[in-house]
Amino acid sequence: MDKLSGYAFVAAGLSTALATVCYLIYALSGLRAARMETAGLGATTGSMGLISGPRTSAVGRYATMLGWLAVCALGAGLVFRAIATGHGPFANMYEFSLAFAFGTLVAYMWFERKYHQRILALIALPVALAMMGYAATIPSTIEPLVPALQNNLLLTVHVAVAIVAYGSFSIAFGAAALYLIQPEGGRWGLPKPQVLDEIGYRAVVVGYPFLTLTIILGAVWANTAWGTYWSWDPKETASLVTWLIYGAYLHARVVRGWRGSRAAWLLTLGFAAVLFTYFGNLFFGGLHSYSGLNSTN
Amino acid sequence: MVHEVRTPPLRPAAVTAGAATKPGLMDRVDAALEGLWHLLTSMRVAMVLMIVLAALCVIGSLVIQVPTGVGDDPTAKAQWLDAVRQRFGAWTGAMDALGLFDVFNSAAFRVLVAALVISLIACTVHRIPGVWRTATKPRVDVGPGFFEHAPQHESIVVHATTAATLEKVEVVLRRRHYRTVTQDDGTVHLYADRFRFMAFASLAGHVSLILILLGAIVGTTFGFKNQYFAVPEGSTVLTGTEDGLALKLLSFTDTYYPSNGQPQDYLSQVVLLKNGQQVAAQTIRVNEPLTYDGATYYQRAFGPAVQLTIKDQRGNTVYNEGMPLDGSSTDGSNRSAGALLIPGTNDTINVFATTGTSDTTIQPGQVQIVLYAGGGSTATDSKVVDQGKATAIGNYTMTFDRELKYTVLSISRDPGQILVWLGALLLFVGFTLVFLLPQRRVWARISARGAMSVLSVASLGRRDAALGTDFDDLVTDIRSALQAPNQV
Repeated sequence: MDKLSGYAFVAAGLSTALATVCYLIYALSGLRAARMETAGLGATTGSMGLISGPRTSAVGRYATMLGWLAVCALGAGLVFRAIATGHGPFANMYEFSLAFAFGTLVAYMWFERKYHQRILALIALPVALAMMGYAATIPSTIEPLVPALQNNLLLTVHVAVAIVAYGSFSIAFGAAALYLIQPEGGRWGLPKPQVLDEIGYRAVVVGYPFLTLTIILGAVWANTAWGTYWSWDPKETASLVTWLIYGAYLHARVVRGWRGSRAAWLLTLGFAAVLFTYFGNLFFGGLHSYSGLNSTN
Repeated sequence: MVHEVRTPPLRPAAVTAGAATKPGLMDRVDAALEGLWHLLTSMRVAMVLMIVLAALCVIGSLVIQVPTGVGDDPTAKAQWLDAVRQRFGAWTGAMDALGLFDVFNSAAFRVLVAALVISLIACTVHRIPGVWRTATKPRVDVGPGFFEHAPQHESIVVHATTAATLEKVEVVLRRRHYRTVTQDDGTVHLYADRFRFMAFASLAGHVSLILILLGAIVGTTFGFKNQYFAVPEGSTVLTGTEDGLALKLLSFTDTYYPSNGQPQDYLSQVVLLKNGQQVAAQTIRVNEPLTYDGATYYQRAFGPAVQLTIKDQRGNTVYNEGMPLDGSSTDGSNRSAGALLIPGTNDTINVFATTGTSDTTIQPGQVQIVLYAGGGSTATDSKVVDQGKATAIGNYTMTFDRELKYTVLSISRDPGQILVWLGALLLFVGFTLVFLLPQRRVWARISARGAMSVLSVASLGRRDAALGTDFDDLVTDIRSALQAPNQV
C-alpha cells in the first residue's frame, strides 16, 4: 500500500508538471493572440473576458484534463497512504505537504470550473508542484504516532479542514498575484482586475470559515492533550496571525480606498502568513514540534 | 457584506446666526466625542488594529517567549534572561525592556486588544439599530435618484398597469423566496429581501469574539491552574484544587517504538483520594486526561525519581518517599538531580543520579547524596550510595531504596471554558452563515406613464464581475414574466 501511494504521488507530480507546461503554452498562445489583437488582426475576446477566445483552446482542454488527472492521482495516493498508516495522511511534513498540494489542486480545479480562468493555474499549479517537490526531499517513511498525535478523529479533521483553507488561500494568492503584476487597465490578455478581485474574494470566503474551524479544532485538541485551549504556542500564534490578516482583508473589501491593489497586497501577505504557519514547525519549536525528548509533549 | 442605506447625519449647526462667534466648550467636547465615536466605529481603524496586532503576534511567535510563571519571579527571570543572552547577546536587555520576550503580556498587546474590543463593541452597537430597522421596518420608498446611482440597476418599460406589473414582479420575487413590502402613493414602491437575519449572524460572529475573550478572563481570574504537579511513583500529593483531595501515582510507564525509538505512550496510573477515600481511578494518557469534579488532570512530563529513607540520629524515620530528580547538575555532566529540604530541619540534600554504564563516578545502582547542613551553601558531607545499603551521611542514615519515576501532570479548572466554546461555536456558525447565505436586498419602483408603466429595479450589492449576480438572474426572470402574454 505504501509503495502504491508512492507511485501515485509520482504520477501526480508528473501530471501536475505536465499540466503546468500545458497551461503555460496556453497562456503564451493567448499572449500572441492578444498582441495580434492590439495590432488589429482580429481574434475575438469573449464577453467580459469570461471565455478566453484567442487562446488555443485545445491545449487548455488538455491542461485541464491533466489537472484532473493530477487531482485523482494525488487523491488516490493520499487514500493509499491513509490505508497504509491507519490514520489520516496528515501526521508529518511529508504527508501534510502532499495534502497541501492536493488542497491547492482541488481548489484550483474547482475555481477553474466555476470561473473559467485558466491563467490562475500559472500561480496555483507551481504552488502545488513546489509542495510536492518539497515532499520529495523529506523522508517519507511511515513513523508510528507520538502520544500527542494519537487522536485519530482530531488529527484527521483538524488537518483536513486546514487543507481546505490553505488550498483556497493559494487560489486567492494566485488571483492577487495576477492582479498585482498587471499594469493599470490590464495587459497580456490576463483576466480583468475586477474578475481577479472577485475570485480572490470568493476564495477567501470559502477559506476563512475553514481557517476559523481549524483554529477552533486546534484549541479543542490542545485542551484535550495539553490541558489548555490556548498557550500562545508559535504555531497557534501564527495561525491567529493568518486569521487576523484575512479578517482585515474581508473588511478592506468594503472600505473605500482599500479595494483593489491594497486588498490584493493583503491577500499576498495572508498567503505569506499561511506559509509561515505551515513551515513554522521547522524553525520555531514549541508544542507542535513533537520533540518528545524529556517532556511528554 | 451589508451595505446600509445611509443618509448623512445632520451636522449640528455650530454657529447659529447672531450667536457667539467662538464655539463654546460644550461644542468642542461634542465635536471631540463625535470624532472619537467616528474613529471607534470606523472599519478602517479596526482593520489597521488587526494588522498591527498580527504584526505583534509575529514577533511573539518568532522571538522565544518567557515560560509562564518565570516572568513573575525576578530570580527565575534573570536566570532565563542569562540563558537567552547567548543567542541575542547585547540586544537582550533592550529586547526585554521592550517586552519582546513577553509579547502577550506586554502593555502594547493589551492596549491593542482592548482597542480592538472597544472598536468591535462600538461597531456592533452602531450597526444594531440599522440592522433591526432593515429587518423589521425596511425603507420602502428610497426616492427616484437611488435607481440611477445604485451599483446595480435596471429599467424596464411595461405595457401594463402599475398594479398588474407589481403583481407579476411580486410573483417572481416570492418564487425566489424574497420577502416583499410594498407602498403605493400613486407610484408603487417595493422592497424585497432574502436572508434578512444574516445581518444578525454577522453581528453574532463579531460578538462571539467578545464572548471568547470574556471566557479567557473568567478562566484566568476564577480558574485554577497548576502546570507542574509532580508526583513520584507510590507517593500521594494534595492536588490543591479542593480540601482533602489528593492524587496517588500507582505507576508511570513510558514506552518507545522499537523501530525508531520515538515515544509510543506515557501512562500514569493514578487514583484520586478524597479524605483517604478513593473517588476516581484512571490511567492518564496524553490524549486521555482525567476529569474529576470540574478539574482536569493532564499528562505533561515525567522524569527519574529515587525512593529514599532518611533516619535521624535517634533512629526516627524523617523521610521515606519518592523524590523527583527534576533538575540537572550544573557541573556539565548533565546528571539528573534533585534537592530536598529534610522535613523539620534546616538541612538540605542534593541527590545525583548516574548517567549510565559509562559513568565512572556514580555507577548504575548508585546515587550520590550531598548534604548541606544548617542551610549553608558549602557541602558538609557527600557520599556515593549503593542501592539498599543504609549509609551514614552527616548526622543521618540514608538509604537509596530503589529507582522510581515521577510523572508531571497539569491540573486545570477553568470555569471560563464554557464561554470560550460557546463563543467558538457562534463564531464559526455566524461567519459560515454570513458567507453561505449573504443577505440580498432589492428595491423597485413602478410609475405610470400613460397606459404603460416604468419599472425600475435596483440593488446595493456589488456586481460580481466574473459570474454576474442574482440580480442579473432576477431581472431576466422579471423580464420574461412581464413579456409573457396576458391571459385575458
